[in-house]
Amino acid sequence: MAERLEVDELLLDPIRKTGRGFWIAFAALLGLIAWGAAAYLTQLRVGLGGTGLQQPVSWGFYVTNFVFFIGISHAGTLISAILRLSKAEWRRPVTRMAEVITCMVLLVGGGQILVDLGRPDRLLNVIQYGRYQSPLLWDATSITAYLTASTVYLYLPMIPDIAILRDNLHGKWNFLYRVLALGWTGSERQHQILNRAITIMMVMVIPIAVSVHTVVSFVFSMTLQPMWHSTIFGPYFVVGAIFSGIAALIIAMLIFRRAYRLHAYLKPIHFQYLGQLLLVMSLLWFYFTFAEYLTAYYGGEPEEMKVFWSKFTGRFRFQFWAMFTCNFVVPIVCLTRLKKNTIPRVLIASITIVIGMWLERYIIVVPSLSAPRLPFQEGSYAPTWVEWGELAGSFGLFSMFYLLFTKFFPVISIWEMKEGRHQAIGEVMERVKSYLPDTAEPATAHAGGTEVAP
Amino acid sequence: MATWGMVIDLDRCTGCQACVMACKAENNVPSVGREEAGKGRVLSWMQVLAEPDEEHEGEVKRFIPRPCLQCDDPPCTKVCPVYATYKNPEGIVAQIYGRCIGCRFCMAACPYNAKFFNWHEYQRPTAGQNPDVSLRPKGVVEKCTFCHHRLQKAREQAAVEKRRLLPGEYNTACAEACPARAISFGDLSDPTSEVARLSRSPRVFRLLESLGTRPKVTYLTEGEGRG
Amino acid sequence: MRTPHAPPEEAPQPSPGEDRLVRFFQYAIACTPVVFIGGIIGWVTHLIRTSLRLHDVPSGAIGISLVSIPVFITLMCVLLYVLWGILNDRRVR
Repeated sequence: MAERLEVDELLLDPIRKTGRGFWIAFAALLGLIAWGAAAYLTQLRVGLGGTGLQQPVSWGFYVTNFVFFIGISHAGTLISAILRLSKAEWRRPVTRMAEVITCMVLLVGGGQILVDLGRPDRLLNVIQYGRYQSPLLWDATSITAYLTASTVYLYLPMIPDIAILRDNLHGKWNFLYRVLALGWTGSERQHQILNRAITIMMVMVIPIAVSVHTVVSFVFSMTLQPMWHSTIFGPYFVVGAIFSGIAALIIAMLIFRRAYRLHAYLKPIHFQYLGQLLLVMSLLWFYFTFAEYLTAYYGGEPEEMKVFWSKFTGRFRFQFWAMFTCNFVVPIVCLTRLKKNTIPRVLIASITIVIGMWLERYIIVVPSLSAPRLPFQEGSYAPTWVEWGELAGSFGLFSMFYLLFTKFFPVISIWEMKEGRHQAIGEVMERVKSYLPDTAEPATAHAGGTEVAP
Repeated sequence: MATWGMVIDLDRCTGCQACVMACKAENNVPSVGREEAGKGRVLSWMQVLAEPDEEHEGEVKRFIPRPCLQCDDPPCTKVCPVYATYKNPEGIVAQIYGRCIGCRFCMAACPYNAKFFNWHEYQRPTAGQNPDVSLRPKGVVEKCTFCHHRLQKAREQAAVEKRRLLPGEYNTACAEACPARAISFGDLSDPTSEVARLSRSPRVFRLLESLGTRPKVTYLTEGEGRG
Repeated sequence: MRTPHAPPEEAPQPSPGEDRLVRFFQYAIACTPVVFIGGIIGWVTHLIRTSLRLHDVPSGAIGISLVSIPVFITLMCVLLYVLWGILNDRRVR
């Protein structure tokens, strides 16, 4: 085994050096952001009329994007917390990237609501005159809690890594690292404090995350619109969020694996496990979707059936069946038998799932508004360049935040890899032994051995 | 404390849309222009819904004038995040243009689609506008207010003359303009008022009654002459 | 694939003035939980008071704050515990 410092030095390379690939990515993302900025400035100037919104479809791309981006935030902290909680050792190279996704995408997701407002200059009215009867205030509170918790949950495990940066990199950013490292010396007591805090956070973050997408779903299910007023929305949205989030996480991992040459850290086994999780989520998503549509169909309520048929055979059939293919058919095909060609299978599945889940949000928001109960205002919503630009710009902004993060901080948790090499193997062995029947003989430590009662 | 309500007799409504025009003139509801109308952004607080006849293709079975239904349990006020729409003590669902942040949640929640949005800045101050009604800037939601400014004027007049408000002194523009006198407006809590009497008629029905919004705009179905 | 890397750089000695500045920012960071989360709790309380004053479904405000305020307080306490705990432990490894 190579000397550990040398192996982990690779993780500091993206911070030390900036290659051509970075600048190309930077320029491309800047282009997307510029398109988004042009779109939003147009909207500020002329009003929301620059979009394709109209009576009665007063919510479209922006609300879809809001739900979509907030949904992606779920895999991050949720997966990191659940994997830590269940002591899954394969999470070590994954958690940092997951946590970063959450923090960055929450900012962009929350921004979508700001973009959707007709009067963004009056945003402070929500603070001053907020009403807790409105699901939007539940959103505001819940997302604030989640953003706070996930930022903390990102920062705390980063402290030992920032200390490594402080000690090894003496460029112009050293001052920043010194401040953020909080005087970390790696002492026993500091480790104890940090681990205790991370443990509390990883338990707290899970109900907060579940509450976030539940209240986002309540924005729809608390109204009386056909096929929105459904009790299944809370769990449905949470499952969809975790589903899309894992897919986004896999894509991010694969991009940085290639860009920063992290093949030694992010091995096919990691993608195999994530791919299996993704398959489970796909089946779970299908279960909820099936339950929702069967209930609507069986009840046969006319106003709901109008929306139902518009999705199945009507004007939204392309989006609906594309969504179904992307979220269920392709994942089933790709993600079974993952041992061979793991990476390509998982990549294709993840990309289609991200697209499919965006379509799913669209299919939830727009058809119900397009076929209102009083069938006299029927609109056909068609997004304009402003809305496409806003989507592109949001995606660009999120990616830019992520890219800049990787320039300043290691994208894989160095100290957790170290901990994995030195402590975790012993701990896991002890744990497995504790599951097995006790024997009178003293334990002999050999890797992979099991004690059998005489 | 009055409870303002409206009864619309569908047997009398001819679909002439005088109520629509009167409402637009009274409340400075702007014409959005041909292009915007083509995009489905017409602003019209009162609209006459034409229910098609399923048996006879292309024919209209009935006309339903639809102002804001001024629900007693409004779905729109529940979801507003900033108190920009609320039900006042006299039952009118009010809209505060100055506070609305334009989130359009109330529009998504209204089952009658009675709320409208200013997608652009559709109106500037010009001659011929009603000075009693404020112009709406872009980015806010607006809807029928039962010509609330007329109530305020009538109340002020009554206060100056040191008397109570007389029935019939406060009337909405649409009720006033209807040539068939299909729209009755008044105080539902006054048992002697025309509106209260009509609202007790056996011909009364409410739009989307099963949703439980308890609208204070009720309709009288056609009489036995019609099918 | 191992990229060749430069030997560890020499650490320049930090000046005492710089040290103080670093400490200042660190303690400032350690105070932000109180400011930030205290502000949020103050805001939620303001919303409760407003809803009581206007008789506008106070049960909603109170119900939600019964959950959200303890969550925020716990977050604040965890943050203060870890930030001050790490900062005040000056023992060298």
